[in-house]
Amino acid sequence: MPPRRQPPPASGPWGPRPAVLLLAPLLLLLALQGVAAAPVGAEGPEDSPGLQDAEFPSGLLQQAARAALHFFNFRAGSPSALRVLAAVLEGRATVNPKKGCQVDLVFTTDHYNPEVGEEHLGKCSARVFFRNQKPKPAINVTCTRLIEKNKRQEEDYLLYKHMKQLKTPLDVTSIPDSHGHIDPSLRPIWDLAFLGSSYVMWEKTTQSLHYYMAQISSVNQWKTNDDTIDFDYTVLLHEFSTQEIIPCRIHLVWYPGKPLKVKYHCQELQTPEEASGTEEGSAVAPTELNNF
Amino acid sequence: MTSQPANQARSLMPSPAIKGEVQDFLVLCRRMKPLLGTLYLLGILVPEGLGYDGSLAQTRRGVLEETVRPWRSLDTYSYTKYHPMEEIYQWMVQITEKYSGVVTQHFLGMTYEIRPMYYLKISQPSANHKKIIWMDCGIHAREWIAPAFCQWFVKEILQNYKDNPRIGRLLRNLDFYVLPVLNIDGYVYTWTTDRLWRKSRSSHNNGTCFGTDLNRNFNVAWCSIGASKDCHDLTFCGTGPVSEPETKAVSSFVESKKESIVCFLTMHSYGQLILTPYGYTKNKSSNHEELIQVGQKAANALKKKHGTNYRVGSSADILYTTSGSSRDWARDIGIPFSYTFELRDNGTYGFILPASQIQATCEETMEAVLSVLDDVYEKYWDSNSAVKMTSTAMVLGLLVFFMSVF
Repeated sequence: MPPRRQPPPASGPWGPRPAVLLLAPLLLLLALQGVAAAPVGAEGPEDSPGLQDAEFPSGLLQQAARAALHFFNFRAGSPSALRVLAAVLEGRATVNPKKGCQVDLVFTTDHYNPEVGEEHLGKCSARVFFRNQKPKPAINVTCTRLIEKNKRQEEDYLLYKHMKQLKTPLDVTSIPDSHGHIDPSLRPIWDLAFLGSSYVMWEKTTQSLHYYMAQISSVNQWKTNDDTIDFDYTVLLHEFSTQEIIPCRIHLVWYPGKPLKVKYHCQELQTPEEASGTEEGSAVAPTELNNF
Repeated sequence: MTSQPANQARSLMPSPAIKGEVQDFLVLCRRMKPLLGTLYLLGILVPEGLGYDGSLAQTRRGVLEETVRPWRSLDTYSYTKYHPMEEIYQWMVQITEKYSGVVTQHFLGMTYEIRPMYYLKISQPSANHKKIIWMDCGIHAREWIAPAFCQWFVKEILQNYKDNPRIGRLLRNLDFYVLPVLNIDGYVYTWTTDRLWRKSRSSHNNGTCFGTDLNRNFNVAWCSIGASKDCHDLTFCGTGPVSEPETKAVSSFVESKKESIVCFLTMHSYGQLILTPYGYTKNKSSNHEELIQVGQKAANALKKKHGTNYRVGSSADILYTTSGSSRDWARDIGIPFSYTFELRDNGTYGFILPASQIQATCEETMEAVLSVLDDVYEKYWDSNSAVKMTSTAMVLGLLVFFMSVF
């Protein structure tokens, strides 16, 4: 009989298996705790199949949802039916390193105007295609119809009539004021400004840049001579990853039920090395979308 | 008279050859700081842009002449309004007076524009050795809801510690150190000039650009990622780690108390997030699991109040990469529970959160913070946690026993 080999330390004659058996429940317990602790709904890009290693900013799904929602709001063209992101329910992303990144996702939305009593969560599904670090992602988005078309048109028309009655020139500086207050009579202006800004924010969004409307810093022109509302204003956009505040001059023309017409010009950050330049984006509302 | 020494101290600092003189000079400056602070409060120092309304300075001077009644009473102080720095200074004095048994006001340092930084210490006199909870608000000037929350928090603790057993028990073994406004110069600037200003107001590049992002200026992986060396940028990390007087004041103090500090909370807006370390790397802290668990519990407690959704995760995972943040620095000097709170909202109003939302925001945030504090308390003092620890210890003990026997 061959001599027994010297057993390695911390291991019995049965080998290391009993230790593993004892460890297993402990490990299981720890693993369960880890799972329980994982935040609900906070899917990172790491969770999604088909993703390559992170050139991706965290929160790619959130990014896609925001872009989709800006686009949706703009296309709906309805200042009384604006939606904000509630939560991303599910999503996956696939990457083509040469072309860009496609995100398919489902998310819930909430009323933009929090005063509105309805607790109704809307649901949207979207396909968002980010071209490699280029702005203006291509978007296909559908949302559950929360407000009937007729009702929405009626709300828009009431808003429109209210706005027509505002005296010109508008005696306002910034909206909201420093304390976040918006006079109820000026609320429709804020909503319409947000609608116009949605177009701008959609066009400027990339995989890593996303925007919010921080404040209307000035109303330059407010005309209601003909039927349309002709609104020229300067808005301050907040870009989240750089934390910068970007002033954009926006000119929009709106009539309830008709596509929104938007022209804009944003003042971009200037670095000392580069020549000063401003980014100019002028666009009239497209009737057809690019398909990808 | 008053601004000169500090300026001279700053310009002297880069030449270490004159070390001896500089040392003496700095000692003098340090000794002068509390004096400067007191003089400031007495209204003798009135740096430009002090208050948002010049008439306030008049009022203060007027009050000095008739010292009998204060110009504002704590009873009428509104916690559901945003207050300019003048009023916050006054509030600190008054709340310290009213609750003098448990609150003391302490000098932390001077800002770039020579304003005093004060924190409030809430501590119930006792023979127990206390651990410390640190909370700061307003490191970014435009995030007005944060200083509003710090004031609300102090008010809640003081109004309820006698009758509310939950809060009462916390005060038995914990001291609260609250810094209502960290970036005072920036905060004043948002009242006088630019509501959306973020950084401090230090001058750079021969006065061609202003401000350092104080939350990129701490000495942790300084300026390695998620920050800018360009003074024009909003994430400018400063001229070196802890280059800014505000950062220096906070980090010196926190460092000096680090053995006692168990919890470091820094309040920001917006985004509705509870962030754990780190921002400078995707690696996780040694107690990451626990931090997430405690954070998630806090988010759940917050949601119960008004239905607001908060997400929990490490900064690098759910927000973006940053280096030089106070939260990461606090964790890396050994403070176990270190969180950044990003308060309401989700972008609808962003930094300019309507005052009408202050109450709801503060109520729900209070629930979250109390939840964290309860967990911290139970970890260090509660007998219940001893039971949990005992059973885990038992399993491990058995394991070691079996492995050593055979």
